[in-house]
Amino acid sequence: MALDIKSLSFTRQILPLIAVIGLVLAAFYILSGQPDRELSDPDREPPRAPEALANEARVAGSGVVEPSSELVQIGSALSGLVTGVFVQPGERVSEGQTLFTVDDRQVRAQLREAEAAIGEARAAIAEAQSAEATASRQLALYRSVDDPAAVSRSEVIRAEGEASAAAERLRLARARLDAAQARAASARTEIGRLTIRAPIAGEILAVNIRKGEYVSTMGGGGSQPFIEMGQTQPMHVRIDIDEEQAPRIALGQPATVSPRGAAEQQVKASFVRAEPLVVPKRSLTNSAAERVDVRVLQVIYELPASATGDTGIFRVGQQVDAYIPARQSK
Amino acid sequence: MIWIAIRMLTGDAQKFFGLVFGIAFSTLLITQQLTIFVNLLERGASGVYNVSSADIWVMDPVSRTTDVAYAMPSTALDKVRGVPGVEWAVPHIRANASVRTKDGDLEGVAVIGVDDATLIGLPKNMVEGSADVLSRPDSVIIDDVGTTRMFPDQSPIGERLELNDQRAVIRGIADAIPSFTSTVVLYTKYSNALNYVPGTRNRLSFVLVGAEDPAAAKTLSERIERETGLKAQTREEFARDGVQFIIDNTGIPLNFGITVALGFIVGVAIVGLTFSLFIRDNIKQFGALKAIGVTNGKIRRMVAAQAGLVGLIGYGLGVLGTVGFISAFSSDPTFKGFYIPWQIPIISLVAVALILGLTGWLALRSVLKTEPAAVFR
Repeated sequence: MALDIKSLSFTRQILPLIAVIGLVLAAFYILSGQPDRELSDPDREPPRAPEALANEARVAGSGVVEPSSELVQIGSALSGLVTGVFVQPGERVSEGQTLFTVDDRQVRAQLREAEAAIGEARAAIAEAQSAEATASRQLALYRSVDDPAAVSRSEVIRAEGEASAAAERLRLARARLDAAQARAASARTEIGRLTIRAPIAGEILAVNIRKGEYVSTMGGGGSQPFIEMGQTQPMHVRIDIDEEQAPRIALGQPATVSPRGAAEQQVKASFVRAEPLVVPKRSLTNSAAERVDVRVLQVIYELPASATGDTGIFRVGQQVDAYIPARQSK
Repeated sequence: MIWIAIRMLTGDAQKFFGLVFGIAFSTLLITQQLTIFVNLLERGASGVYNVSSADIWVMDPVSRTTDVAYAMPSTALDKVRGVPGVEWAVPHIRANASVRTKDGDLEGVAVIGVDDATLIGLPKNMVEGSADVLSRPDSVIIDDVGTTRMFPDQSPIGERLELNDQRAVIRGIADAIPSFTSTVVLYTKYSNALNYVPGTRNRLSFVLVGAEDPAAAKTLSERIERETGLKAQTREEFARDGVQFIIDNTGIPLNFGITVALGFIVGVAIVGLTFSLFIRDNIKQFGALKAIGVTNGKIRRMVAAQAGLVGLIGYGLGVLGTVGFISAFSSDPTFKGFYIPWQIPIISLVAVALILGLTGWLALRSVLKTEPAAVFR
């Protein structure tokens, strides 16, 4: 069966050849066209259980970083215009340091009024004292006269009356002084209340008021607190644990915590306490219409100092993922 | 001797081409229809296959497929994370929403919210842009088939949409296999998706899980079911659920089954008729061969060779036709992601072998009974 170009038959040689080549091409196309269903590793590191817990019983939760003092939302006792803000976000303040002041002109005017009243009362006391002295000397003079014909009985009664009236006026003047002093002290207290001071030592986390704004005792606009602060050395994380998982958790064991978006940077956080009250899960979606039916146990852990602060990876308010060992039951 | 058989076969070009056409046609019909059938069914699993990194899908016990899902409370994520053997778990939301386009048209879209931090849940590849655009505010990524439906003949990048009164800006195009209904898909971050989809109490549709040991995903999914009370399906199981949902709820299997059967019947009819006609025409030649002492076994081999050649050419052309069909339409968005599973050409090969075997055996019966004297009749 020698192949000869002239006797090449379409049906016997070319057609089978086309079929074979077509089959090979088709096989190649089919095999190369199979869909890519390989599993691939995620591009970015998802939060993983720590090595030690990989195949152990464990409880997972998510939570939020908070100051160890919890978040202190500074309020104002009195309303008025802000005349000065003396702190900036990120600043560390000591206890009692002035945070901001509210307009005190009216109270200072009241203080000046009270001080003028004090001066007036003092002058009144001096006047009353001299009147009393005159009256008592007059009375003593009349009493020292033994001759009843020289001084009439009515003269004596008048002198006695004047002396006692002068004493009463002195008491009244003293009482006025006390009242004015009390008014001055109350004005000073008001002035003190118009200066808002740090209740604890800590870090200023947010300042939502500016000079010239009006603060009311009902809270700021949009129900924002005026100033938020807290003790950020050390920092805590508040981990929400589903109530169904709560009985399994090994309280007292350290938790492995990683911030959202940096799951590979896991740190060990030491146990602080579990909140005694199981609360409805606070949703992190910020949706006002959200209702909840899930309750969570909140467990507090302390972050190591190396992971917090200016160079640390944890910031107040950040969301974290946490893994906690479960109680060994079996 | 085999060569004589081949010459005998190709001697009558009409019958030969009739045979080849019959085989090629039924191969084409069976292969092509089965391919479209399988690909249509697998559209039900495209939602699962588009997520390339999840070993296990965890969902509410009543959820059935990626599109028929009942939402869970958000703490389900932490429950799943607490199961030993789970390497990681991320939230995943799938929901339907209505979008208002710039023209004022209303279009139903599927909003898929992927984990904010890791973006697990996005398709593996992007047509335009990168997955990182989701970190910009109000970003969504549209799928490529959705692009052709919502923005024919223009680039969707930078287009603004209105979803649940919120602004959404398209900043990327994902390379994804469309779903069965070819709904436009918008991928966004989980936190954005919560705003884009009108609120219900629970929002979390799925928890995607990566197993410590992907090979043992089945045991892990059983453990997740046991410990959390949720339903956990491995990737393959969940893909099958999606396919099963289409089988249960549409007439597709019946329709395509009928077409495939028709292909088989047409093949048997054409090839069977032509082949037996051809054998009968050549009965004299077979008689002569017998007369010069060719055994029945040899004749069987000759007929087998004839059938083999017809089968080879017909099957080759039929498969080539299917490949040509699929590759010609591969740029059409309706056929996006269509492929020929390697099992299907094998199934049609078996069908061709059956057709030829059946008709060859029927035709041979008369030849084997032929007496050498037939040559003189």
